[in-house]
Amino acid sequence: MVAIPRQADPTQGEHARWLNARARPVAGWLALSAVGGLVSGLAIIAQAGLIATIVSAAVIDGTGLLALTTAFGALAGAILARAVGDWTRLAAGDAAGKRVCRRLRMDLVDHIAAIGPVRLSGDHSAALANQALEQVDAVDGYFSRFLPQLVLAVLLPVVMLGVAFSLDWVAGLILLAALPLIPTFMALVGAGAEDRNRRQLDAMERLSGHFLDRVRGLATLRLFGRGDDAVTEVARTADAYRKRSMSPLRLAFLSSAVLEFFASVALAAAAIYIGFSLLGYFSFGPASEMTLFAGLFLLLLAPELYQPLRLLAQHYHDRAGALAAAASVAATLARPAQAVPVPRQARRNMRAAAVTLESVTAGHPGRGRVIEEANLQIKPGERIALVGPSGAGKSTLLQVMAGFIAPESGRVTVDGEPPGVPGRAAWIGQRPFLQHGTIADNILLGRPWASRIELEEAARRAGVLEFASQRPAGLDSAIGERGRGLSGGQAQRVAIARALLADTPLLLLDEPTAHLDAAAERRVLEALKRLASTGRTLVIATHHPAVRTMAHRVVIVREGHTVDASARA
Amino acid sequence: MPARVRELAPYVALLGARWGRIAAGLALMLATVLCAVGLLALAGWFITATAVTAALWSAGAGARLGIHLPGAGIRSFALGRTVSRYFERLYNHDTVLRLLSDLRTRVFARLARLDPATLAQLRPAEHLHRLTADVDALDNLYLRALAPPAIALLGIGALGALLAAFSPAIALTVTGLLLATTLAVTLIALAVGAPIGARVARRAEALRTRLIDTIAGLAELRTLGTLADQRARLDGLDRALTRDRQRLVRLSALGQSAVTLAVQLTAALALFMGIGLYQADAISGPVLALMPLAVIALGEALSSLPSAFVELGRTRAAARHLNEQSGACPRVREPAQPARTPRRDDMALQQVSLRHAPGGEPVLQHAALTIGEYETVAVVGPSGSGKSTVADLCARILDPDSGCVRLGGVDLRRLRFAQLHGRVSYLTQHTELFADTIAGNLRIARPEADDAALRHALSAACLEDVVAGLPDGLDTWVGESGVQLSAGQARRLALARVILRDAPVVILDEPLAHLDEDTATEVRRRLDSWLRHRTALLLGPRAGALPTAHRILRIADGRFARA
Repeated sequence: MVAIPRQADPTQGEHARWLNARARPVAGWLALSAVGGLVSGLAIIAQAGLIATIVSAAVIDGTGLLALTTAFGALAGAILARAVGDWTRLAAGDAAGKRVCRRLRMDLVDHIAAIGPVRLSGDHSAALANQALEQVDAVDGYFSRFLPQLVLAVLLPVVMLGVAFSLDWVAGLILLAALPLIPTFMALVGAGAEDRNRRQLDAMERLSGHFLDRVRGLATLRLFGRGDDAVTEVARTADAYRKRSMSPLRLAFLSSAVLEFFASVALAAAAIYIGFSLLGYFSFGPASEMTLFAGLFLLLLAPELYQPLRLLAQHYHDRAGALAAAASVAATLARPAQAVPVPRQARRNMRAAAVTLESVTAGHPGRGRVIEEANLQIKPGERIALVGPSGAGKSTLLQVMAGFIAPESGRVTVDGEPPGVPGRAAWIGQRPFLQHGTIADNILLGRPWASRIELEEAARRAGVLEFASQRPAGLDSAIGERGRGLSGGQAQRVAIARALLADTPLLLLDEPTAHLDAAAERRVLEALKRLASTGRTLVIATHHPAVRTMAHRVVIVREGHTVDASARA
Repeated sequence: MPARVRELAPYVALLGARWGRIAAGLALMLATVLCAVGLLALAGWFITATAVTAALWSAGAGARLGIHLPGAGIRSFALGRTVSRYFERLYNHDTVLRLLSDLRTRVFARLARLDPATLAQLRPAEHLHRLTADVDALDNLYLRALAPPAIALLGIGALGALLAAFSPAIALTVTGLLLATTLAVTLIALAVGAPIGARVARRAEALRTRLIDTIAGLAELRTLGTLADQRARLDGLDRALTRDRQRLVRLSALGQSAVTLAVQLTAALALFMGIGLYQADAISGPVLALMPLAVIALGEALSSLPSAFVELGRTRAAARHLNEQSGACPRVREPAQPARTPRRDDMALQQVSLRHAPGGEPVLQHAALTIGEYETVAVVGPSGSGKSTVADLCARILDPDSGCVRLGGVDLRRLRFAQLHGRVSYLTQHTELFADTIAGNLRIARPEADDAALRHALSAACLEDVVAGLPDGLDTWVGESGVQLSAGQARRLALARVILRDAPVVILDEPLAHLDEDTATEVRRRLDSWLRHRTALLLGPRAGALPTAHRILRIADGRFARA
């Protein structure tokens, strides 16, 4: 991973350095892109010279077509080189940009995973996804276009000016005069561009989050008769976005108009100077030696002289967009990963886990300390029920055992190791996570390599088969995002089937029976008991008396402390 | 080809509504191109003319050359190009953003008109992609795919007219070549790019969906140890997507190079043919220089064509999404001529039958249920027995296949949604909270409610102490779907929202879910008094999990029975 600036709001220079560090692995592609642009630029010079030669030879010297065959052949060659060079510049630049984006996207995905589910609970998953998609894509242009063009914008005008000066130094001066104005204006216009682009990206992110949220809640909005208000609200948000988009565009257009203005003025001035020199109206300096060849060559060279800078100005906005995106992406990458990294090595075939909490204090940002100085020893194979009023810290206790949050102080171990070893625990939350796919897909998340028989067995024991078998496709029936198409109890049973299949030594369940009626609950409890009786350690946060009866031990959580209530016989 | 046209037709039609702006935008674009051509062609003509005149003078021949008019022409073309380009861009981008803003709102309005059952089939992640990416993808349509070809055609035409004034043969050759090559390159770009573009759209959507799923399911994925598999899938999708995107960029670069090649070679050909004519004294020297330069100057107007058409595949995919969704038909509709709002608040299901899917198991079969005014009726049954369906029918989220649901004797299908939802308030089984403050979430029920009213509602749901204990109180932000609150707190917030609504008819689906016993007892006590002067339908797994009811019914085999 690349070193990330630690400051909350690093300056623009730091973002540029951050981006440049990412350019290192693709330096070869960037160089190839610049070489392509250079070849194309040199071919353009050759083309201008050849056209000037041909016209001058035909008009002034009266040379015939036959004598000009070589020149025409060279002209065709130059044009071909120009096209090939251009293609190389674009394709190689794109290869560089796309490679950087790929890496950055996966780094971001890894870091989001490292931040962990609890710390992310305040974020919109869509906004984060947007960051990993759109904002990472916004970095592309910096590498694919801006960086190669930066080289070309320095090299090509110098070469072309050299040619212009060798032809006629006064004309060279006219063309040169406009040149320094261009970067000056570019810097002036570009100064606020990054900030504007960042605001633009933020607005885009908010627009996505706002929309997803409103769509998700459309049913509720309708029930409260607020559908039309929501449409107006979305219209307002969309229009605000339009206005926000226009302001950076206005600047972008103004900056390119300024460049074009100077390029046009220089071209017009050069043309008039050349014409008057040819007529002999000017007699100073090299004017008296002006030829048609030199004049036409200069005329054709003039627009090309500014072209690399014009392109750079266009891509300067790619840079601004990339810097703004970099700021936002770097901020996410700089967010502290949860202090419990996912431990790599996992000892398999542990049948049951021992869990130890020693004076653990933990909490959530914004909610303060939720558990304080909690102590708990869980022996392998023990079934623990965590009870207590809602908000007392039962879920937080489970999250600490799962390794989602690191305690502020104290020690948590699962089998003597830090919590969070993959495959060590199965988690069933208050809202079961179901992804788009079939019921079977969702159960198989627990153990993707499980056989169909194992899958069906888990589904049967969790009571999933009961409702799945009534559907035409059975376990292969599709379900929507967040379990749409399943009742609350059915969704929970799918989650339980997943945990059954995963066969982990520790089961962490956060009020798993909240949705279930007595009959379904009984079935699930039996299934859980069956699993626990094979030696699995089980910790359930619950309100339900029926769940308590299956526990070996009831632990009361009250205001963040744990009190061992009973050791059942 | 016809399918392509049909997919894009609604959006092309959308442009028609703003034809004045579009025409003005096109005129500005054309002015820019003509100024560029004029500038280089006139400058080339002028320089050559001065050179020829100077040569004649030095040969002792008398010749005259007006220099003021060409000079003024060069200056005005130079200025005109800059000015028209600036305004053209500003004006056209504003037009496009206006179109996009219209479109964005219309998409949401169409979604808002769909009933929740239909909506549930379209997925949130896709909607998000639709409103932002799909709508943005359509900006390609006008500014990149419709305007540039129009300008290219007009520009080639204007160039042809200019050249025809000197040599019809060259004019024909140049226009013919330019038309043929740009058309060929464009069509090839379209044919090759379209399937890749469609694939990119599909994969980008899949990547987004999987990414959102991964983030939302991080807890389960982490603990189960399947995060690595999920990452590998994301990585594979991203790799495939990147590969296709690179193909598109290379294709458009290739198209651009091909157009450059065609334009520059045509210019060389014009020069070649011109020399022949010049030697035959058919044209003058300055005109010989003018012709290739005019062709070269037009090149810029043609160079963006291939990339626009390479992108068109993605634009079409976006258009197709939007079309599919606008084709979705709400299953529950408002009546054209609504009945009067009923005066009584009794509720009745009469001979109601319903299947969720045609040919599927019936959820309700000739079910009948009457709830008198101010009566509280509890319906209990196991999960999946159809309790929530009954609630949905009473709130007209669903319509029955046969039979009818009445409020105060009026069939719900004869009421406008505003009439119905003004009288009936419904706590759904899914707790839906918005990314907003606690106050904002409550005010969805009653926008004009003051803080005292909000506190009162919170108190009725036993949440006032919790909110009072938060540092920001009512202004505390509730995260995505209310995840920063515990499930029990989120449930009570949703309940407080329904209480704030203060409707005479109330449907509560599992109002006490996720609550611990003590809290549930207290909420039940407060609800009992709140429900006293209301008509209420309560749904839950068992009567013990519900507030006190006058009557308790059990739902079994699609019918109601006394419990």
